[in-house]
Amino acid sequence: MTRISKPSLSNEGYNLQFKPFEKTLTKQGVPFYFQSAGTQDVIKMELVFSGGIINQPAPGVASFTCSMLSEGTKSKSGTELVNALDYYGAYFQAKASEYDSVITLYCLSKHLMAVLPLLNEAIEDSIFPEKALNTLKRNAIERLKVNEQKSSFLCRREFNSKFFGNDHPLGISSSIEDINKIDIAQIIEYHQTYFLKGLKYILLSGRFEDSLKDKVVESINFSNKVSSNIIYPELTTQKGKFIVTKEKAVQSTIKLGHKGISRTHAYFPTFQLMNTILGGYFGSRLMKNIREDKGLTYGIYSSHETNSHYSLWYIESDLNKKNIEIARKEIFSEIAKIQTELVEADELSTAKNYLLGSILKSLDNNLSLSGRMKLILDNELNYDYLNEFKERILKATAEEIREIANQYLHINDLIEITVE
Amino acid sequence: MIHYSRFVLKNGLTVIHHLDENSQLAVLNLLYKVGSKEEDPNKTGFAHLFEHLMFGGTPNIPEFDEPLQEAGGDSNAFTSNDITNYYLSLPLSNIETGFWLESDRMRGLAFSQKSLDVQKGVVIEEFKERYLNQPYGDIWLRILPLAYKEHPYSWPTIGKEISHIEEANMDQVKSFFKNFYAPNNCILVVAGNISLERVKELCSIYFEDIPAQEIKRINYPQESVQTEARFQEIQSDVPSNLILKAWHMGDRLSQNYYAMDLLSDILGSGKGSRLYDELVKKQAIFSEIDAYISGDAEPGLFLIEGKLLPETSFHQAENAIKGVLDEFFRTGCTDRELTMVQNKTETNIRFGDVNLLNRAMKLAFAEYLGDIELTNKEINLYLDITKEILLSEAKRTLVDTNCSTIHYKSSSND
Repeated sequence: MTRISKPSLSNEGYNLQFKPFEKTLTKQGVPFYFQSAGTQDVIKMELVFSGGIINQPAPGVASFTCSMLSEGTKSKSGTELVNALDYYGAYFQAKASEYDSVITLYCLSKHLMAVLPLLNEAIEDSIFPEKALNTLKRNAIERLKVNEQKSSFLCRREFNSKFFGNDHPLGISSSIEDINKIDIAQIIEYHQTYFLKGLKYILLSGRFEDSLKDKVVESINFSNKVSSNIIYPELTTQKGKFIVTKEKAVQSTIKLGHKGISRTHAYFPTFQLMNTILGGYFGSRLMKNIREDKGLTYGIYSSHETNSHYSLWYIESDLNKKNIEIARKEIFSEIAKIQTELVEADELSTAKNYLLGSILKSLDNNLSLSGRMKLILDNELNYDYLNEFKERILKATAEEIREIANQYLHINDLIEITVE
Repeated sequence: MIHYSRFVLKNGLTVIHHLDENSQLAVLNLLYKVGSKEEDPNKTGFAHLFEHLMFGGTPNIPEFDEPLQEAGGDSNAFTSNDITNYYLSLPLSNIETGFWLESDRMRGLAFSQKSLDVQKGVVIEEFKERYLNQPYGDIWLRILPLAYKEHPYSWPTIGKEISHIEEANMDQVKSFFKNFYAPNNCILVVAGNISLERVKELCSIYFEDIPAQEIKRINYPQESVQTEARFQEIQSDVPSNLILKAWHMGDRLSQNYYAMDLLSDILGSGKGSRLYDELVKKQAIFSEIDAYISGDAEPGLFLIEGKLLPETSFHQAENAIKGVLDEFFRTGCTDRELTMVQNKTETNIRFGDVNLLNRAMKLAFAEYLGDIELTNKEINLYLDITKEILLSEAKRTLVDTNCSTIHYKSSSND
């Protein structure tokens, strides 16, 4: 058998330079960011609105308002509106996130000017028929009933209520009763406040001519008066161990975590690296120990979610109920290990290269670049932050990893949820 | 337009090169021509279990993923009824690591008992997590054997039952590898900002000397034409009743395939579709309803799946679906509807082509189907479908005697 030796590596040969989107303003003064790249004549246009789940007056209102945008306008029924977009092979998605809402339009570049008026109509002239709301509510309740049979859903719901707090908008997950209570007046008011007046900025990506971009900017007609001063409620985290009971459960889920560190924190890159080593990728310690060595689960990951208002670090896995205790023990032992022992050189360099390679990969798809741009805008990062990030990662030492794990992972602060 | 070059090494390995000058990445996609359809009916789920073992190391390289991650790359794989597909992407500067790893595991595996035991455990967990312990999770395990009485599409890639995976042994692993994991049973796609000459050079360094093997294809039976409607009722602790209907349709290269794919969009994909508009919005019989195709290489299935609202009976639901289909059979689709689904298809194809890895996979699969140019001309096959073809293919396919139906009954709805 031929044995060929391992090729040498060059992990510093590539560039993590993010090319900033260009900026212009619409007639109403809304910032409009654009970048044309890639090989396909496709368009992704995102309208970012200032209202999100945090602003909703009652559970479910933000996401129901989003869904209702395709349920009919002054001149078209919902089906007519969707079919008019379908005719051009175009569609839009409206999604309420924690702190904002995004309407994303997908279409071929050649159809953009034809579909823009339809998108405009959906946002500006929606009429929110009662019957459509009732249909959506009925269907949402059916979906909720299915979700409530899934241990992963029950686990996340409980975790959120402990992390954000029972009364916090992000800690409340809609119940059947909540869904039943949503009414048209709430939807109309939310739409007026956050969709008719709250456009923050627009992102245009895909591949297009400059003249097409000019026409788009010219025809955009949304105002961006930001509503009022929004006061964000504080988190009221309740740490400790909690069990969600599920009758006849075979499959279980474990989730444990606590607050992380913000994206602008000096130690953010090192924390990301530490998290990668612990459970952030297929070659991580948790994955190796609990899946690849013991075969206890199909997957286990640790994650670090950050946005402009909070950050959350957690470990989550779906596994058989009988394996919960042993997995739990191993999770704690891996946390203790990363806090006390130095990471070996090979493991450290593998994690560094993997982490940087995954960022390079995300920069390679021109439709995902707008997500990176949004991250920069929302977190007020500078355009060169990825290269700074790369520098920090390449310099990180085993001592720093141990130090960060000690300083920012706290067993005693954990929220721990299991479904049993 | 996706450009490519194609050449075949002396050992039978088909290589496809796709240049993308804008990318900083390199992608290697290896399609092995073996899927769950070539399994022994008493040892199902093996092709997929084997896919897991391909990451378990070789005599030269103890673990597949580690050197790849060290090179800044990552990889994954999937198994279908027809093929097993492995892919990796990494920074272009480290492309040689990709060649080194993939050629190494094509040469031979470590065949470690520990890796087999652990991966059996992982796959059994996957089986439970996805197919048993999810509401409606076993529906695919139920509909396939109802629809297929002879052809091996009668079991899903995860396998018929957990015991088949538990019983897998090392001899089986070794003979499966020897029979199917050979250069002459593989299609390699290399994509990125790399020249054809360089790809040829790397192929000759890494793959050329791997010997071809004799591939013994399994002679599995073809499905006879179904002649009577089939039905099964399942009772389970799920929140709502569900209906699933499956009709046999044409193979991946037949005109029937393209017609039925478009029809699935007209009938049931999204808020603008006929089933949704009529049965969710207007008649309020279902909470959700979709039409889709299984997408297999050989004759697959056209399916309609819907969740009934609590006050709907199965009888009503069946009649309602029949009503929408009958209406379609009476008048067919409009010009506008046809243009609409053709344009939607074009959008989906173009968006799929944005990603380098998707382009590589698409080239590999077209080559597997026997016509690599399908990568670029497939859109025309959709555009060639007329209203008349659509209607006649629908009438030919969606007949009761060709249909298998499952009523998935919620025990709490009694």
